[in-house]
Amino acid sequence: MLKLRESQNLMALAGIVLLAILISPVASDGSRIFLQVGNLTDILRQISLIGIVSLGMTLVILTGGIDLSVGSTLALSSSLMAMGLTRAWPGSGYAAHMLYAIAAATLAGGLAGAVNGAAIAGLEIQPFIVTLATMIGIRGLAKWLTNNANIDIGFGRDVAAQFAAAFRQKSLVIGSYAALAAVFWLLLSRTVFGRHVRAIGDNETAARYAGLPIRRVKIVVYALSGLLAGFAGVLYAAGNQQGNPNAGVAYELDAIAAVVIGGTRLSGGKGSIAGTIVGTLIMGVLTNMLRLGNVDSNVEMMVKAVIIVLAVAVQRQRRMD
Amino acid sequence: MTYRGIDAETRRRGGLGEFRTVLARCALRWTPRLRVSASVMLAACLCSCSTPSTTGAAKRYFVAFSQCNNAEPYRAAQNALMTKLFAAYPDVKLVIADAQQDNSKQVAQVETFIRQKPDLLIVAPNERAALTAVMGQAMEAKIPTICLERDILQPNYTTYIRSDNAAIGRMAGEFIVDYLKRKYGEPRGNIVQMRGLLGVEGEINRDGGAKAVFARYPGIRIVAEPVADWIQAKAKDRMTEVLRAQPKIDVVYGHNDPMAIGAYLAAKELGREKEMAFVGVDGLAGDAGGIQKVKDGVLAATFVYPLCVDKAVEIGNRILRDPSFHPDKQYNIDATIVTPGGPQ
Repeated sequence: MLKLRESQNLMALAGIVLLAILISPVASDGSRIFLQVGNLTDILRQISLIGIVSLGMTLVILTGGIDLSVGSTLALSSSLMAMGLTRAWPGSGYAAHMLYAIAAATLAGGLAGAVNGAAIAGLEIQPFIVTLATMIGIRGLAKWLTNNANIDIGFGRDVAAQFAAAFRQKSLVIGSYAALAAVFWLLLSRTVFGRHVRAIGDNETAARYAGLPIRRVKIVVYALSGLLAGFAGVLYAAGNQQGNPNAGVAYELDAIAAVVIGGTRLSGGKGSIAGTIVGTLIMGVLTNMLRLGNVDSNVEMMVKAVIIVLAVAVQRQRRMD
Repeated sequence: MTYRGIDAETRRRGGLGEFRTVLARCALRWTPRLRVSASVMLAACLCSCSTPSTTGAAKRYFVAFSQCNNAEPYRAAQNALMTKLFAAYPDVKLVIADAQQDNSKQVAQVETFIRQKPDLLIVAPNERAALTAVMGQAMEAKIPTICLERDILQPNYTTYIRSDNAAIGRMAGEFIVDYLKRKYGEPRGNIVQMRGLLGVEGEINRDGGAKAVFARYPGIRIVAEPVADWIQAKAKDRMTEVLRAQPKIDVVYGHNDPMAIGAYLAAKELGREKEMAFVGVDGLAGDAGGIQKVKDGVLAATFVYPLCVDKAVEIGNRILRDPSFHPDKQYNIDATIVTPGGPQ
């Protein structure tokens, strides 16, 4: 069943890649622009942030939950990253300074996620409501901390410049995404924790009777989602050379779209990391294809809307067959 | 076929002819899996419809414009004027991409443009820090790049076409000082500033320019300066709060017209709009623009912040057509004041 769904996603991806190759404009040297190594790695780098966020989102959705706060968490983390580099830990060595700042920014994301998880598991409030509240609250915190202004980094010759230069490299960004994807794939498919995540989403009552540590699993899942959003914020700060309290608006929706296109059921229980990766790639390749074709950006949004509905409709049909 | 960047002939053949046969082939092979291919085909149709096929044997130019946010009226006016001006050149194909006020989105768009090797790239950066590096990549790829209106942190452009926001701030400041002198016989009074998105060059300089003037007159006080992010609706809310707190206001200086208008609407709701004068910046044409609002008596003055697009098209065309032309590193476009008596 899962295998079938994944192969089907892969086929959809292959179809879109094929289409992108066919309609790609051609450079003056005769090569197809879509297939240029630079362009292909552009795509991977551009999807990496949403890709990383959507790994955590997959776990959350598998438990039957949702995390609307990831965009705000990314903004908070990017702001903290820039503040850490420019305003904290003076006098420490470059490497240590960078490490502290990255750890602080990422862990703040993890903490925000843990708060989500604690409220959802402990107070038994619906995930949609809890994370809607933290989406607003964390955005406010980021804006308050930065006084509503961006913090530009990396234009001098300081630790921030070193950080931006290192963490904006394509190889590092894509490498981080690949490594995290591998870790989360293993976590979900090869560990007891992964089985618990699926079991809770499939049937929470049954999982409770089976004695699964539901609360703990939920808190960990939301904390992981926050950690990943926090790390994505670190990469955002490097890539855009700024801490930006207004960053990441609507990223949660892009991540949810990638997850559902990847075949994860929004009601939980069924789905996979591999599917989410394919879903992320489909959106990335589609965006690139339309932009290379100079399709109007408003039309781009309409096409994406249709793709999301079609992808889910196809999976639904398949389940009913 | 000398269409630099994208070879039109190959593009048409490779793009559509081949594409149709493959679609047919796909349809045959995938009939049982029509549901999957349906999504793909739909995307295909939309693509083929919206990608203009480029014909003509003469030299053609591809001009790519990355606009930071179509949703602002000023930006929409820029797009409209640029489309109109380039339409006079049939050998130019202009593509405008909208970054929807998102730095990452704009970086990605510029990256994709760089792959397409346009003959001219125009970028209206959303924010300075985020766009600096990617515009450097465009320069490295030897693409002539015009930085439009907002600046970036390093000179990663062929030329920068700008209007001087600090000068506009000073003009607005002087206008307000004159107004207060007429009102009281001396330069004194209470001023409210409606501020745009903090950290943006336009906001910094429209603010700084005016404050430099006010600083010379100890009788002039800024009693409140709420941040309304350039948005009329937000300005109305923020101004309502200010009106509750401030019993006496002489002038509201909005860093753009929509915010000045939002402040006016808030004052009108409380019946206080006659008490104070409203001054804006941007001076767009059209019914919803600031110039009409000056005519209507809503604004005491607006300062026409030039779209900079005329100059960009002029300089851009010279870059395209004259290899020996070397533009200046920077062009300044002057602002003009509009009062009920007309432009001055």
